[in-house]
Amino acid sequence: MTAAIENQNKNEFDQAVKGSSLNKDAWRRLKKNKMAIIGLYIVIIYAFIAVAAPILPIYSYKKIILDHQHLPPTFTKTAGELMYEKVKTRMLIIAKKRGRTELNEREQKKLEGLRHKIKTEVKTIDGEIVKLHERIYYLGTDYHGRDMLARIIYGGQISIAIGLIGAIVALIIGITVGAIAGYVGGAVDNFIMRFVDIMYSLPYLLLVIIFMAMFGQNILNLFFAIALVSWLTVARIVRGQIISLKNSEFVEAARSIGASNRRIIFKHMVPNTIGIIIIFGSLEIPAFIMYEAFLSFLGLGISAPYASWGSLVGDAVEGMADFSWRLFFPAIIMTIFLFSMNFLGDGLRDAFDPQSKNKL
Amino acid sequence: MTKFIIRRFLGIFPTLFIIVSISFFLIRAAPGGPFDTEKAIPAEVLVNIEAKFHMDEPLVVQYGRYMYDILRGDLGPSFRYPDHDVNYFIANSFPISIQLGTISIVLALILGISTGIISALRQNTWIDYSTMGIAIIGISIPTFVVGPILMYFLAMKLHWLPTSGWITGRHGYVTLIMPVITLSLPFYAYFARISRASIIEVLRSDYIRTARAKGLSGPVIIIKHVLKGAMLPVVSFLGPALAGILTGSVVIEKIFRIPGLGKFFVQSAFNRDYTIIMGTVIVYAVMLVVLNFIVDIVYSFLDPRIAYK
Repeated sequence: MTAAIENQNKNEFDQAVKGSSLNKDAWRRLKKNKMAIIGLYIVIIYAFIAVAAPILPIYSYKKIILDHQHLPPTFTKTAGELMYEKVKTRMLIIAKKRGRTELNEREQKKLEGLRHKIKTEVKTIDGEIVKLHERIYYLGTDYHGRDMLARIIYGGQISIAIGLIGAIVALIIGITVGAIAGYVGGAVDNFIMRFVDIMYSLPYLLLVIIFMAMFGQNILNLFFAIALVSWLTVARIVRGQIISLKNSEFVEAARSIGASNRRIIFKHMVPNTIGIIIIFGSLEIPAFIMYEAFLSFLGLGISAPYASWGSLVGDAVEGMADFSWRLFFPAIIMTIFLFSMNFLGDGLRDAFDPQSKNKL
Repeated sequence: MTKFIIRRFLGIFPTLFIIVSISFFLIRAAPGGPFDTEKAIPAEVLVNIEAKFHMDEPLVVQYGRYMYDILRGDLGPSFRYPDHDVNYFIANSFPISIQLGTISIVLALILGISTGIISALRQNTWIDYSTMGIAIIGISIPTFVVGPILMYFLAMKLHWLPTSGWITGRHGYVTLIMPVITLSLPFYAYFARISRASIIEVLRSDYIRTARAKGLSGPVIIIKHVLKGAMLPVVSFLGPALAGILTGSVVIEKIFRIPGLGKFFVQSAFNRDYTIIMGTVIVYAVMLVVLNFIVDIVYSFLDPRIAYK
């Protein structure tokens, strides 16, 4: 329909008319939405950091350094200085309890030894000789002396990957099933939609919990469990769109020149539902990240040495009174990302669907 | 209408049947069993234990026996804690989860709808922006982040509230505050957003203009006309919200150490305590399906077109 108007290129006043596609219109509307654009930039930054993680100058996320257990975040002090302070304060407390104000000789000697160790000790990590105690942990360390910054970045990599892959799988299954149900109609449609209805009424997060607890916590199981149920909403919505497109002229035209069903569905109808698909894709990504984090928090998702934002928060709850940085940094970083994704998703929905029938 | 209710009611049973069956076979298909312990149990003993719990029978027979038992209301003995049966555990923990869930959803509904009304009536003012800002925060921050952070500040730093426990303990009702806030926050946010959007839509409709033209006062229009029309999307979100409260409570009970059903659920799944997992799933499923049924009925009263479709 729009093609016809575009071809004329002139309106009734003989002025040139520039065609504007649906997607271009949406992009123009999106650009006006400040929050959505800020969200988009933040998401891009996160994605960039996650992809570039291996070449960023960060420490190993899985190397356990017991000497560096629970060091607080700092910008100036090296790990060695913090270690030294920690040991010294502990000694002073013990000394005070025993009624001394000064450290005794044995303790002095121990501190001297520690100072020497901090100055000289080196370790090989990934084939490189590293002066361990000169490291600076900007976000502190965790229970095993691992760098929180590295763990959050690599955790983000896993969280974002799960969000993306989950959304893509959900979209592929959902679009295929929904398009077939909508286009073929009749008994097939009935059967598929009853099945979707039943799946909908299952308390599926509970089933996912059982599944993960019983079949073991690995990433593959996690994908499988989440993808199994995530396509339902997409299937419903695509089906609705396809049904409304089924009787339009361009489909009839395609049919009249002998296009196959497959071609009609995937070349003509699905591209016309692209707006809806983008909206749901962008809203499913944070949903998946939340699911994964939820499971990891319960100890059912990602397990050590790998991390995800959810597992980092989950691990931090124990002992958060003393080591609050372990809770706050991953929590804040995850929340900012979810925020941005939600704003972006909202913006996309308003851009592609100005009437917003799917508003929630 | 009666026909719709009956049809909808009969639909409950196949759904429950499917949930129970899927869970039954999913659980049995998993590697490991309830009697896998660190210490190897002698083979003869194991045979006896398995015979006691009918684990030596073919799976189909076990399935039939289980289905028969639950129809009589008997959820069977626990595999791990032989002193009590599953009914006992559930009778002890379920009321706790119910209280937590009910208080949270009622609070979320009341506050959410009030917020929605206020920001719809004061659309595009600072009240609207700030409440919707809070709402988007509520949606974006996961409960398992809100819970620990509240706990950190209110309980550990300021010492205003006890860190954990349940009302029956020595702290009484104050133990409810943090779990309820944490659990209801996201649903409060959704209800606020949904009711705001639908009230704005209804306010623009012709019948509201007619009511205004008749000279009805503002509050009467809002209560009698706007709310009734605007409640449809809110009610239809109740179903998903209830499911969310249910799964959310699993996390909340873990964070605040509340001895509810959710605690049993995760623990028994790790323990392979087949009967307890099944019992918990059945209780959750019955609750969810029945509540969804009620929501549908309420919906069909608000919008009679549904029943005749």
